[in-house]
Amino acid sequence: MQIIKVENISKVYGSKKNSNHYTALKNISFEVNQGDFIGVMGSSGSGKTTLLNILGSLDKPTGGRFLMNGSEVGALNRNQLAKHRMENIGFIFQDYNLLETMTLKENIILPLALRGKDIAAIEAKVSSLAENLGISHVIEKYPYEVSGGEQQRAAACRALVNDPKVILADEPTGNLDSKSGKDLLKLLTQINTEFGATILMVTHDVFAASYCRKILFIRDGEIYNELYGGSDRKQFFDSIINVMSMLGGGEG
Amino acid sequence: MNLFSLARRNIRLNGKKYSMYLFSMGFSVFTVYTFLALMRNEIVKTAFRYDVRYQSLLSSFAVIILVFVLFFLISSNNSFIRARKKELSTYALFGMPNRRIGGLLFLETALVGLGMLVTGIGLGIFFSKLMAMILLEMTLVNFAGKINFSIDPAAVYQTAALFGGIFCIMGLSGWRVVSRFELVDLFKADKVSEKKSKGSTAVLILSILLMGAGYFIAVNKDPYVVVVGSIPILILVILGTYLFFWGGLPKVLGMVKRKKELYYKGANLISVSAVSHRMRSVASVMATIAVLSAVAVTAVATGFTLYANAERNTYSNVGFDLTFKSGDETVQANVSEVLRKNGVKVLVDEELPLYETDTPTTSIEMDGMPLLTPGNPVRVYSESDFSKLVSLSKTEMETASVAPGEALFLFPYSPDRIEQAMLGQKLDMSGFVAQIADVGRSNISGFGMLNTLVLNDGDFAKLLTEGKLSPSFVDGEAIHAAVYNYEGALKNRQLNEELKAVLEGRGVKYSTAYGLYNESMETFGLICFIGFFMSGVFILMTASLLYFKQIMAAEEERHQYRTLRRIGLDGRTERQVVRRRLLPVFFIPLAMGILHSVFAMKTADTVVFSHMIPATNSYLYVLGFSAIMYGVYGLVYAIFYWITKSQYSRIVRS
Repeated sequence: MQIIKVENISKVYGSKKNSNHYTALKNISFEVNQGDFIGVMGSSGSGKTTLLNILGSLDKPTGGRFLMNGSEVGALNRNQLAKHRMENIGFIFQDYNLLETMTLKENIILPLALRGKDIAAIEAKVSSLAENLGISHVIEKYPYEVSGGEQQRAAACRALVNDPKVILADEPTGNLDSKSGKDLLKLLTQINTEFGATILMVTHDVFAASYCRKILFIRDGEIYNELYGGSDRKQFFDSIINVMSMLGGGEG
Repeated sequence: MNLFSLARRNIRLNGKKYSMYLFSMGFSVFTVYTFLALMRNEIVKTAFRYDVRYQSLLSSFAVIILVFVLFFLISSNNSFIRARKKELSTYALFGMPNRRIGGLLFLETALVGLGMLVTGIGLGIFFSKLMAMILLEMTLVNFAGKINFSIDPAAVYQTAALFGGIFCIMGLSGWRVVSRFELVDLFKADKVSEKKSKGSTAVLILSILLMGAGYFIAVNKDPYVVVVGSIPILILVILGTYLFFWGGLPKVLGMVKRKKELYYKGANLISVSAVSHRMRSVASVMATIAVLSAVAVTAVATGFTLYANAERNTYSNVGFDLTFKSGDETVQANVSEVLRKNGVKVLVDEELPLYETDTPTTSIEMDGMPLLTPGNPVRVYSESDFSKLVSLSKTEMETASVAPGEALFLFPYSPDRIEQAMLGQKLDMSGFVAQIADVGRSNISGFGMLNTLVLNDGDFAKLLTEGKLSPSFVDGEAIHAAVYNYEGALKNRQLNEELKAVLEGRGVKYSTAYGLYNESMETFGLICFIGFFMSGVFILMTASLLYFKQIMAAEEERHQYRTLRRIGLDGRTERQVVRRRLLPVFFIPLAMGILHSVFAMKTADTVVFSHMIPATNSYLYVLGFSAIMYGVYGLVYAIFYWITKSQYSRIVRS
């Protein structure tokens, strides 16, 4: 089932008449289907975060169409967008973005509380999810009392709690040590396979990308290449490295 | 770019943040100058003929203001510097030594201070005429003099010297804050990294007990207990308030958090957790605001109630515009002549016979204090004479009807306490026994005697014919009470002087409403005037301190709102969150201050107002008048809340 359809999206910063303008995305088109685990790779300034922001409706494209579940997201107003984000999208950020004033549990509950769900449903949902993601033992603690890995797992929990159509992860392993990073990637894979969640992950870490099932490479705001992973992750890793070296080499 | 132009540029760029601070600083300067100038104003000095205490009242108030100004300016200056931590550590990052940063801040303080000093004194001079007019208008009933616009050089020097000193202390304390900065702070500034205060049930209960104990003493009916207990009341309530905000309120928030049906509702989850996270840093400010609000609100409410009831108080004490006792008919003729000559319309001109008995053989005591002793004369009225006196008077007393064999006992102070002791007592007046069936308060019927008895007309006539009542005599002459009411009595100084001359010339004891009224207006008006100023200063200082704390918090919480918006917080819920985040911080101290004041007014009622206001439940009256001032205070406070809210929203949205 198709979840996201992106048609000729472009993003230009500054006015086009102005010589100062900067094109972050150029006519990008692709589709995301139910259950996909897609990685978006590219160097700094390639436009991958801009793309993620547009998909997360945090930013608006200057051209093209973007459909989610068949309805056009660009047509929504501010409050409708907020509602759309709350109901359809789960975010995982590099710096976790947990609220320091709340315990992990309260952070996880937040999206449900904002939607006005009833207490029993909230409690049941959170406890089973926390159990699955292995953070039940620290759930009553504050973010500054637990490790980065645990914080990021709580953030993943918060992203999942709403049963979103798609999870957008922006460099989720960027702030983690290699052990916690690996754990988180396993977790995302688990979420993808067990819960059937659709995940779109922006990263420039080849190891992290090797957990994805499909990779979009972006260069200078355009899709440069696509790569599909097989059953062997080692092989996939090597082919990603190859594409990356071509990307990095550029025209020179 | 030298240090001076950098300082100027910083002030300009931080103007918005500075504005509240500048406003309260300017107002402080204005207040201090105004009071110093008023104390030295010749017209004001001569105008206070009745009360020499005004100068000491004004000057002690100026000292209180200065102490609070010092406290407020230093603490808000330090908060302000901390709010600019990021900017200041950037200077450090680019290699500016802390010494120079401190110098920069000192220069900024000096520039801003100089500006506000000039503005405040300028405004003080500009409004000097108005302020003197307001003071005299409020305190003097018939002020007719001309006040000129005036500049008082001595007051200018004094204000400048005082604030110059304060600004120096501020600059130095700012320097101290800067010298403690670490460069790493630059990178940590944005995180909300506070130690949480969980609060404790024991502290919550203790704080409530302390405040409750204070309240319990405050509502005591005995004025003596209340006056002696005033210091313990203050200690108990202030201690209780601080404990409540330090340990009690965090506990209450913890309890709210346990009520999941309430807590897990969108906006509540965010705002309650944010408030409870901030409790530690804001608790002391909140407690201070509660205490200061209580003081300010009580001062204004007391002043206003006294002031608004001055006329009523006057008449409940003297009853008529003019009363005197005299056996000589020509005195009345002289008085009537003066009134006629002055062309005032006479409303009441009556003469009442005065009777007394010195023979109630019963002795009544209460707590060892004699209320009635044999041989001490008591003023006696028949019910119809008494009712006539009351209905002619300007008091709010009620006429009496007394059954045969019974008596109404009247006492010049609040009869609440003696009622129990007096009711049902049998008074033996040379064989005639009257039982006290009712006890009341009257200041107008004694005519030189403490207590009054009102008897049934029949009983009175019988006693009179039997010779058991005697007319009052002065110098061997039977005397009458002469009572007058006439128009414009309270404001006609000329007439009052003439009447005084006539009556004193004849050696007659008299009392006029004019004298008492003008004296109370001077005192109450001054208290009211000072109360308004004090509230103004307190509310400005405390509200802007709170404003600072919240603005600093907003800078730190900005990234939280960004996260919240990303996960789908819509505009309406965001406004709700901001409201519920700020409202408790503003509202709880105000509510507690007003609650304290409600009990403080009860004390004021016991000591002062119950003697002043003749209503059966004077406290309700007092609360009515106080409520007006609570409303005004609340309104001003609400404006500060609103300013803070819009500024906070602006910051978290950017």
